Amino acid sequence: MSIVARTEKRALRPEQELAALIERATGDGAVVSFTGLARGVSKKGHAVHRLVLDHHPVLTLQSLQAIASDAATRFEVSHVHVIHRCGEIEAGEPIVFAGAASLHRRAAFEAADYLMDRLKTEAVFWKREVGEDGSRWIEPTDTDHADRQRWG
Amino acid sequence: MKVLFYGRLAEAIGPELDVGESRGCSVAELRERIVAEHPRIEQVLRNNRALSFVGERQVRDDYRLSAGETLEFLPPVSGG
Repeated sequence: MSIVARTEKRALRPEQELAALIERATGDGAVVSFTGLARGVSKKGHAVHRLVLDHHPVLTLQSLQAIASDAATRFEVSHVHVIHRCGEIEAGEPIVFAGAASLHRRAAFEAADYLMDRLKTEAVFWKREVGEDGSRWIEPTDTDHADRQRWG
Repeated sequence: MKVLFYGRLAEAIGPELDVGESRGCSVAELRERIVAEHPRIEQVLRNNRALSFVGERQVRDDYRLSAGETLEFLPPVSGG
């Protein structure tokens, strides 16, 4: 079992993270990964130029590690891999990578799904959207909370 | 005593506030004191949407602060 969970101040390279996860998955039968991108359109349909993610010097990393560790405990996975951007992220750039490796595919699918539902609602970041209609803080939606509740 | 803010709270009133001698004060009392001086953040600070932390541990509103402790208020988080 291995867990990678960290923040990334510079560009996140999903292909590199996936390659690292596959390399660790010796003997496994499945690797599932999710890459989240900074969306270029706001809920109101206006252009978004970038996201700005503030973070806490200690609690942010702790939250990523706790979520990754919970996924590793809950599902029959051999590796969990979570990388989350902080700072300024231009529209279209990767903001998060969440992946898992397992002997059989179902556990890896479920772990990746679980990781994202927890990250959306519990990872310690404060997200601001900057676009043509100004700047506004983003908080989890009712759907995000409902998705999180699926896991109890 | 120092109080630290993050996210929309930091944007509204700055990342750090000196609230003077606060030994023995509860978190709830400090919430009220800060809101009285900075009504712009009332909505986030008064209805407990902002979680309170001391020494990287979450504390409840009845927690009483000791000398040298730093209180932090974290507004709702959003990752992913």
